[in-house]
Amino acid sequence: MTDRTERRRAAPMSDLAGEGQEGMTTETQDPMTLTATRAPQRRTAEKPALRERNPGRFLILTILLVLLLLIVAPLLVVAVNAVKSPADYAANGPLSLPGKLHWQGIVDFWNRVDFGLKLWNSFITSLAVAVLGVILSVLNAYALGIGRVRGRLWFLVFFLIANLLPQEVLVYPLYYLSKQFGLYDSLFSIIIIFTVIQSAFGTYLLTSVYTEFPKELLEAAAIDGAGKWRALWRVVVPVSRPTLAVLFTFFFIWTWNEFFLPLIFLISNDNQTVPVALGVLQGDRMMDATTTSASALIGIIPAMVFFLIFQRTLTRGIAAGAIK
Amino acid sequence: MAVSRRGLLAGSLLMTASLALGACGGGGGDSTSDEGADAKSLTLWHYEGPTSAMGVAWNKAIEIFKQKHPGVEVKFEEKGFEQIQQNAQMILNSDSAPDILEYNKGNATAGLLSKQGLLTDLSEQATKRGWDSKLSASLQTTAKYDEDGIMGSGKFFGVPNYGEYVMVYYNKAMFDKYKIAVPATLDEFTAAMDTFVKNKVTPLAVGGAEYPAQQIFYELALSKADRAFVDDYQLYKHKVDFNGPVLSYGAQTFADWVQKGYIAKNSASIKAEDMGTSWEQGKFPILISGSWWYGRFAKEIKNFEWGTFLFPGNNLHPGSSGNLWVVPEKSKAKSLAYDFIDITMSPEVQNLLGNSGGVPVAADPSAITDPKNKELIENFNKISTSDGLAFYPDWPAPGYYDVLVAGVQGLINGSKTPQAFRDEIAKPYNENLADLGK
Repeated sequence: MTDRTERRRAAPMSDLAGEGQEGMTTETQDPMTLTATRAPQRRTAEKPALRERNPGRFLILTILLVLLLLIVAPLLVVAVNAVKSPADYAANGPLSLPGKLHWQGIVDFWNRVDFGLKLWNSFITSLAVAVLGVILSVLNAYALGIGRVRGRLWFLVFFLIANLLPQEVLVYPLYYLSKQFGLYDSLFSIIIIFTVIQSAFGTYLLTSVYTEFPKELLEAAAIDGAGKWRALWRVVVPVSRPTLAVLFTFFFIWTWNEFFLPLIFLISNDNQTVPVALGVLQGDRMMDATTTSASALIGIIPAMVFFLIFQRTLTRGIAAGAIK
Repeated sequence: MAVSRRGLLAGSLLMTASLALGACGGGGGDSTSDEGADAKSLTLWHYEGPTSAMGVAWNKAIEIFKQKHPGVEVKFEEKGFEQIQQNAQMILNSDSAPDILEYNKGNATAGLLSKQGLLTDLSEQATKRGWDSKLSASLQTTAKYDEDGIMGSGKFFGVPNYGEYVMVYYNKAMFDKYKIAVPATLDEFTAAMDTFVKNKVTPLAVGGAEYPAQQIFYELALSKADRAFVDDYQLYKHKVDFNGPVLSYGAQTFADWVQKGYIAKNSASIKAEDMGTSWEQGKFPILISGSWWYGRFAKEIKNFEWGTFLFPGNNLHPGSSGNLWVVPEKSKAKSLAYDFIDITMSPEVQNLLGNSGGVPVAADPSAITDPKNKELIENFNKISTSDGLAFYPDWPAPGYYDVLVAGVQGLINGSKTPQAFRDEIAKPYNENLADLGK
């Protein structure tokens, strides 16, 4: 056990280059023998040969570059227009480069909606949802995946359907419930709602991961005298930590980007989150392109920063750490 | 099986919810004029940008209000149009409702809320404070709603501060280049556009993917229409003949304009925003659209001189009052809200609205300093006092906007004949009439 975790910790650092390609494929091929196939010598022997021989690599590289450009292009357009003055935009259109950098749009927007407060609201809700959502998912999945309660298949179907349900359907029931409990126009309503929505997905995913959980580990823990509770926190959670980290990241980013329900439940400007604040700029008939770009830019940056910080967790893949 | 059970559950929940909503809406109506006069705060929402004409004027109004009510705190929140549009019904039914807010005019918005009893009847205040005499008849159309929530008659449920209308914007530099004078009749207008076409310039900037194209079609139809037609079409007074002279002329002339090259074929996919920026860049000499562009053009166009004129030869023009100030039934400071509306209707605020590039409903044109703004407002007053506001073509039926966009797109790219277009837009209109039981 200790030997394994040590190796796992060491592996990612030594193979920065190959992680994406080989690490992933071998892991999905045969997770049970993961530690064996991941022997570093084999990889170093194969790599250079592949690199020299395969002319297809250039083709793939070009395709990837084109794809990258396509994906980054909208972001670039947003960035370019965010620092353009309205007159410049009117005279030269959205695709020209700005004559000079015009930061006023961003500053004006920040002050107009009190953006610092919105960032804080978004951060608090996303963080709370991510933490609570992961905890709830683990508890559910432990019962369904490892505990094997009766009728768990139907539970899973239920969670799957709950996932597929469009949020529009939920609006009126949630509106009346939240009004009844005095939670309308409060961040708590959003935290509770999204904890449940996100953990529906989390439960579904974690349960399938936990069904495959090696029984030997649990039996060993039981022989050592660990109860159900202890087995959960001391064995199941540590072993599945990479998966949980991925869930945490997803929950955070998803909640950060939510627009529809926060729009409905967060009425006061003091309670609004970032995406709702961006909606202020959408007029009846008018669109203020430069300010909209400025707001889009500062709205997207926090999510991107978060993503960059946690991208190592993400690249390991959802199923990666499941069975080690 | 689980699917259907779940679906049923959601469905029944939704149904109880909407029933409950209907039930909640019924009450209220006991509005006395000094209700909430001792309130210590006024929560006020609107969704106009801080630099827009309305934003500037209303900021001033808030200032004046504070001077007149020293002990009252004004809690102003700038909202998004989308948020109000989506949620007004839910918000106004909760304790988070503001004391006064800006809301959209129309049957589906202010009309619907008034029918559900969520808005305060302002009729008494309108007579007492003289708002009704400041608003012309065609402006009052969108402020009054009957028991079914249909505009045009009944009680005052909102007060508009500004108006809007469709006009012709033209690029003076390009007109001068081809020695074209400002046209006074429709014939002169088409002659001017012929000159542009001869010189390989497409005359009209048109956004076919959104509202602008249908407003041109409506403008053309209105050139053959009278007030009775507008009442029939918008207020369902009599049945509208979609094959009659008015709409036939509109559809046929629009198709001719495409044929003659006044409107580019590729404009079917152009959005309003792109139409505006292309005209700002001087790519087209003429743009037919609403006064909502005015302030923006004034601020952003630096490269050429431009001017406006009313669509030549028309007595009726697409246009209406702007959005309304409404007072929610749940407002805790109704009397203060009335005072605030009264301030926004005062000459000081109305003139500021006009001087900031907006179209005030009750300004004194002689107090408007900028000659261009003056022209804008005088044109509006001309239309408004001669009862010439014909509203917008997409108003009569829910979802009609998309029908018209698709129909006019068909005319632009030639995939539909004018006859087919008329048949296509007649159907949903008449279905809506049947739904209303008319």
